[in-house]
Amino acid sequence: MNKTYLGELEELILTMVGILKEEAYGNAIVQEVQSQLERKLNLSGVHVTLYRLEDKGLVKSHMGGATNERGGRRKRYFELTSAGISVLHSLQEQRLKLWNLMPELKMAGL
Amino acid sequence: MNNVQPPKRITNLLEWVCPNYLFEGIVGDLEEQFYDDLEVMSVKRARRRYWWNTLRFIRPGILLRNNAKLNIINTIMVRNYLKTAGRNMAKRKLFSFINAFGLSIGIAFYILIYLFIMDEKSFDQFHVNKDKIYRLEEMAYDTWQNNPEEPYNYSAYLQTGLGPVLKDEVSQIKYAARFNPDNQGIVSFGDKVFTESLSYTDPDFFKMFSFPLIAGNSDGLLTDKYQVVITPEVANKYFGTQDALGKVLKIDNYGEHEYTVAGIIAQPPANSSLQFQILLSQSNRPYYDRNMENWSSFSTPTFVQLVDNADMTSFEDNLAKLVDKYMQKSLKRARERVSIPEGMTVFKYQYTPLLDMHLNTQVSWTKSSDPKYSLILGGIAILILIIACINYISLSLTTSATRKTEVGVRKAIGAQRSQLISQFALESVILAVTSMLIGLALMFVFLPAFNEFTRKEIALSFGIILQIAGLGFALAVVIGLLSGFYPAFFLSAFKPSQVLKGGFTTKMKAGFTKPLVVLQFALSAFLIISSVIMYQQMEYITTKDLGYNQEQILVVPTQMGWSEESNKAVERMRTRLSQDPDVVGVAGTSLSFNQGWSKYGYTINEEQKSAYVFAVDPYYIDVLNIEMKEGRNFDPAISSDTSAVVVNEALVADMGWENPTEEYLNWREDTVGLGAKVIGVTKDYHFLSLEHAIEPMFLSMDKKEVGYLTQMLIKFKPGSLAGSVDKMQSIWNEMSPDKPFDYTFLDQDVAKQYASHKRWMSIMGLSTLFAILISCLGLFGLAGINALNRTKEIGIRKVFGAELSNIFVLLNKEYVFLAIIAFALAAPLSWYVMQMWLEDFKYGISMSWQLFALSMAVGLFIALVTVSYHAIRTAYINPAETLKYE
Repeated sequence: MNKTYLGELEELILTMVGILKEEAYGNAIVQEVQSQLERKLNLSGVHVTLYRLEDKGLVKSHMGGATNERGGRRKRYFELTSAGISVLHSLQEQRLKLWNLMPELKMAGL
Repeated sequence: MNNVQPPKRITNLLEWVCPNYLFEGIVGDLEEQFYDDLEVMSVKRARRRYWWNTLRFIRPGILLRNNAKLNIINTIMVRNYLKTAGRNMAKRKLFSFINAFGLSIGIAFYILIYLFIMDEKSFDQFHVNKDKIYRLEEMAYDTWQNNPEEPYNYSAYLQTGLGPVLKDEVSQIKYAARFNPDNQGIVSFGDKVFTESLSYTDPDFFKMFSFPLIAGNSDGLLTDKYQVVITPEVANKYFGTQDALGKVLKIDNYGEHEYTVAGIIAQPPANSSLQFQILLSQSNRPYYDRNMENWSSFSTPTFVQLVDNADMTSFEDNLAKLVDKYMQKSLKRARERVSIPEGMTVFKYQYTPLLDMHLNTQVSWTKSSDPKYSLILGGIAILILIIACINYISLSLTTSATRKTEVGVRKAIGAQRSQLISQFALESVILAVTSMLIGLALMFVFLPAFNEFTRKEIALSFGIILQIAGLGFALAVVIGLLSGFYPAFFLSAFKPSQVLKGGFTTKMKAGFTKPLVVLQFALSAFLIISSVIMYQQMEYITTKDLGYNQEQILVVPTQMGWSEESNKAVERMRTRLSQDPDVVGVAGTSLSFNQGWSKYGYTINEEQKSAYVFAVDPYYIDVLNIEMKEGRNFDPAISSDTSAVVVNEALVADMGWENPTEEYLNWREDTVGLGAKVIGVTKDYHFLSLEHAIEPMFLSMDKKEVGYLTQMLIKFKPGSLAGSVDKMQSIWNEMSPDKPFDYTFLDQDVAKQYASHKRWMSIMGLSTLFAILISCLGLFGLAGINALNRTKEIGIRKVFGAELSNIFVLLNKEYVFLAIIAFALAAPLSWYVMQMWLEDFKYGISMSWQLFALSMAVGLFIALVTVSYHAIRTAYINPAETLKYE
């Protein structure tokens, strides 16, 4: 089976979908990244990344119910698929494994 | 807050490009963000942010999702399309080749012309100060011609004294430089002696123009009278690999001096209006001091650079003030002397921006050209390209009929019409790109010849190649799509059920190609007729009896300057060669043929007259075999002959003399004496090119008033000219070893007068070749369609006993008809254009009907040969083959 490789933004947004659970839609992700990491993302970038993750089968989406706020438009909610969850798991494992292989880390100059 | 709405327009744009299923979710998020923004910022800023955020959604990640499904199918099918296209081309190698080749020729021609026009436009663009530099010019009432349509003379040659006063008296001028190119002088260093072209200019030249200085300091260059600035080429010629700076060159321009090389300046590029090899200070020009004082002598082109944001109105006012200050007296005299209509400006300074100089036709310059050439060539190029495209379509159509079955099968297994269209369009683009590659190769092959024809030096730098490749590719794609369009629609419209059942015939509606074939044939006919006429005229000119003998004559400048020494040099050479059995005679003259002329104006009996004048010696008339009509030649034994004149018939007619040999020509307006005695009359001969009528002219031996013999004409016996140059070289070296030996052949000098016409003839010849080739291809295509459409008809005719020849005539008579229409269109047009061209020559051929008939016969023959291929092929098909389905 082909291994799935993810870009930095893809990985971040996949993680965000996992964190936000039922509330994961474009704008919520932008706001969450802003408040957690103080990092500004552009909405269009988030959307495109979400669609790409969907193409890769890591997330799936559905439309929510009608709202009164946003001009009456529905939200497109995203959630992790099992493939998405397993990718998140393996990412975490890989990182830990590599981290453990690292000799004691010293800050340069200290 | 709800009454504030996000901007509508940008939302609509997004809706238009965005896939429907994504749109709602995206816009919802955008609007949510907008309302969030409204809480913390102004409405204006929030709207701007919304606008920007929305715009960011127009990106490939969104756009390409629009037809993602279609994309997948296409990428699978494209490979199949490519394979089919390749197989189809391979199956009909000749046809594909012809089709691609026609377009290649069109593209090659188009790119060549494009290069030509780009080069014309690039003239003088490399100067940093190009927008601030102007050439000053004079506009003067023409007192000689009295032409009411154009009463003024325009010239870039101004008073020598003007340059220095400009900077002081016109506040808008920052720099001023006089620039006299193309003066001859003898340059020597050690034993290296050559005749070179000298240019005279001022120190400001180096500040105004951006010719890079390779060595030396641009400040104060040429402020010293005996400094010289040379190009690397000249430095290399005299000093080889040694450092040229500080070396001393001897330069002889009417007096020899030593000049120190103070700077080395880059050779001007080919697209520079100013050309030079050796730059000297203006003060070295002959008669400089005299000319500085004389405000009615015009000999010096002058360039100025204006200050930033100069006020042009006050600039013009200041120029007008200069006229009042320096020229008032002479202008007043002119008004008194000749009747100039009241209120007519007699003299005015005007100017032309440096960048307009090259294409300026009003004021002549050594290296300028007429923009109409670019226009004509551009027109021909576009026409040829259009015709090539049309041919491409009709040729595609002829081959497409054989692909009916393929279309049927594709449709039957579910191909949609749009897919078929894109398939055929793709094929067409592939073929077009192939043609472009061949076309580029052709262009490389033709470029040297093209450069020679147009006397350009277009070099292909990497940047230009890139540009051409880009242009060619764009052309190929556009042409491919445009011309693939019609066949694509035509083919994709077949009904599979009918096609696959068999026996389905379709008439290709190629009616629109007929007028186009007429058009392209008319163009070819026009070019054929023009070429034939141009060729005949050139033939006429080169063989016409000019009234003197131009064969076997070597022209050698005396290199002694404008002085008595020159006359003595001619005499010495005559004595030296008098024993040589190969030499018929040696004559001297002030100007040989095609070296220019001088003309004097004089008033006799209150009538303004003018005549050309040449200084000669008594041997001139004999050496050139000029026939005398009356009287006698100059006689060296009669001393009074030095002030006498020999005139031509035209002058006699102009003066209205009955007995010319008893008359006096008072051309110096002598108030005391009678003037110069007329001792003889020559028959008219063409001392100027055949572009000019033979005008009044006289020959004189008067050194003081007419001039010195700076040119020797050495006539050799027939057959001995071949070795003469080497012999002359050694004689010259022994007689004047410190002067360069330059020579030309008189007949070549005379032929050179028509060089530009010859060049045009070549360009027309080339265009004709292209046009004929391309229109033959077009005709070939049309004939193919036609033959195909009538396959069955011909089958039936053959069954009923038609002969091969009958069918041949049947298929061909239409084209004869088309060709005749084309000729009927082209003949008057080419007659008109050629009439204009022939007007340049006072001695031209007359256009006879035979010429037109000949051209037409040639055209018809070519057309028939082209169409016969299809006619014969169709006529030979066994009727059983074509009729078996019925």
